[in-house]
Amino acid sequence: MSRILITGIGAFSAIGDNVAANRQALISGQSGIRTLSNFPSRYAGSLPCGEITRSTDELKQSSGIDDPGVTRTSLIALQALREAITDAGLTPEQLRSSDTALINASTVGGMCLTDELYHDANNDGLAGSPFLSSYDNASVTLFLGQHLRIGGIQNTINTACSSSANAILYGARLLRHGFARRVIVGGADSLAKFTINGFKALHILSANPCTPFDAGRTGLNLGEAGAYLVLEREEDCHDKKTYAHCAGYGNSNDSYHPSSISDEGEGPFLCMQRALEAAQLTAGDIDAINAHGTATENNDETESRAMIRLFGTPPPFLSTKAYTGHTLGAAGALEAVFSILQLQYQESYPALRFNEPIVSTGLIPSASYRSLPVTHIMSNSFGFGGNCSSLIFSAV
Amino acid sequence: MYIHYHNCIFPQQTALPGGLDTLLPADGNQLKAIEPSYDGVPPGLLRRMGKAVRMGTGTALPLLKDLRPDGIIIGTANGGMEDCIRFLNQIIDYDEGMLTPGNFVQSTPNAIAGQLGLMTRNQCYNITHVHRGLSFEQALLDAAMLSMEHPHRNYLVGAVDEIADYNYNIDLLGGWYKKHPQQNKDLYEANSPGSIAGEGAVMLVVNGQPEEAVARLRAIRSWHGTNPDDARTNIEAFLQQYTDGNIPLLITGENGDNRLLPYYETCEKLLPGSAVGRFKHMSGEYPTAAGIALWLTCRLFEGEALPHHFYKKGKENTAGPVLIYNTYKGEQHSLILLSKK
Repeated sequence: MSRILITGIGAFSAIGDNVAANRQALISGQSGIRTLSNFPSRYAGSLPCGEITRSTDELKQSSGIDDPGVTRTSLIALQALREAITDAGLTPEQLRSSDTALINASTVGGMCLTDELYHDANNDGLAGSPFLSSYDNASVTLFLGQHLRIGGIQNTINTACSSSANAILYGARLLRHGFARRVIVGGADSLAKFTINGFKALHILSANPCTPFDAGRTGLNLGEAGAYLVLEREEDCHDKKTYAHCAGYGNSNDSYHPSSISDEGEGPFLCMQRALEAAQLTAGDIDAINAHGTATENNDETESRAMIRLFGTPPPFLSTKAYTGHTLGAAGALEAVFSILQLQYQESYPALRFNEPIVSTGLIPSASYRSLPVTHIMSNSFGFGGNCSSLIFSAV
Repeated sequence: MYIHYHNCIFPQQTALPGGLDTLLPADGNQLKAIEPSYDGVPPGLLRRMGKAVRMGTGTALPLLKDLRPDGIIIGTANGGMEDCIRFLNQIIDYDEGMLTPGNFVQSTPNAIAGQLGLMTRNQCYNITHVHRGLSFEQALLDAAMLSMEHPHRNYLVGAVDEIADYNYNIDLLGGWYKKHPQQNKDLYEANSPGSIAGEGAVMLVVNGQPEEAVARLRAIRSWHGTNPDDARTNIEAFLQQYTDGNIPLLITGENGDNRLLPYYETCEKLLPGSAVGRFKHMSGEYPTAAGIALWLTCRLFEGEALPHHFYKKGKENTAGPVLIYNTYKGEQHSLILLSKK
């Protein structure tokens, strides 16, 4: 069967406006975690977040969008998506073709407008806002699809924090089954009162910049980002520039608790194992891992256990959430882009703010920027509802 | 892909044969689901579930008593809206003060699939499609691909959405529900914009094996855009590609909104010999309502007569293919072709 190749990538996060800027920050160990400032909240000025510093108005201006109903999530998505399709050299005719699909993920969607949503949803006597059709997760996809005139299948996936990993997996399957010849896959989420207060209520937001896999970790930082990949079948790529081969993917459910992972990391173990099976690889073939690594008490310990169970001694790994924050629906795609960069440049990035290993597992993430031979890299994403997914990218 | 088992909770009686003959009325332009007693779900757990999670799990669990699917694939535009607005109101009303996380966790659209995975200890493929009015169609396509990848495995595929103040108010403000009181029995005579709100859950067990199947999914197509010419082109191309033009029954998503009627009339004109059925006076309008049309088709294929009030034109009396055409707000469209074998 024809291989699924990555022909374009785009990323917009707290550490950079585009893929090159993101890579530069990763190389130099430059974190994007800073104090929340872009919207009014009781946590503005105090809560550390992976915030994109540009305001929504600035994003509208730079994107040339004047539609009053467009949301921050859609604007972040558009910028990253444009980079990916330009990188892949997709023409307007190709975008309009019925065999070009767009598979997008979002968990916040238009809920970044938490206050506007409150007024509209409670129908409190004011006239409806311009955002009446912008609140749901699909609104981002529909905006992108309409703006870029995508002619083929469109879909939106929400499996919480693993959403865009599943968007990639779904897009790859559409190609395999011939429902599309090229797919644009990825996700976007922006910071929102809704998610900040949700994670706060769960007591898993850290008051300080997060410390993934550190024994003293105190929780996660939320972030915002958009990241997209263009996938095409090898037979259609000819002499096109290609980054990597989407070699395997695995999806599992931890079936343990709505908002935490089982002690032995059953779901994480299963999705990594299934990704290896799909890629026809063994654990020893994996050269590096971009871990889910949210820096919560529960995630990092259970993910470590699952990695030890599968790999014995895991290959070099790190969580780039120390740079970008946890970007929720964008995380799977953003970290897929980072994994592809590791593969392309044969390098490994420094884990930030790591001091001491977790006592029961003893795992130590990659310490510094260095060159690293990478043929196969794994990227993990786990979410609420037990939704776990793992992707494997391989050198072409 | 073949459909083997099905179950449904929606605003009409589904438990007994002939239960659909008596049309239950809407209240305040809303048709609310008739929920069963949910025997077998622990009461403590049931109390904590929002309606979408309750309907979704309550529809699926009876199908999973003796069957362990290799995938749980849910289509829902909104998931737990009731919990979502409860949490939203907490945030604003308490000015981001001390909040309880229960509603937040239940408000994520993947809570239905997640809860099903949890309750049935199912660690297989688990996914939630949330593409508004095409969420269910994407779940079906996902299940169809899985059935081709592994024909002998069973998959649970479902459509769930609830009415909550949240989406009712937003869609009311958006002009998608009628501003005047509207009885569902006269829904199609209103000749005004907007529909009435509905909700429901449909669950199917599918695989790649024809033996003893209730129905076969022969083809599915979706497209976006309000252009009526696109609708005509897509329907024509679909009919040409997948049928010989003989479709004894067309089920449309006609919903009493006179702005959407032209799309459905276009489809009806392309199939002049077909009987035409409608269902949104039973279900109300909601993003995954196409699931109801599919469920009704399964009942028809099993030999149950659909009620008189279902038929707009003619009456289906053969076991030939059934075409379902639905549009959500004129922006998202789908065609689903089913046959008995």
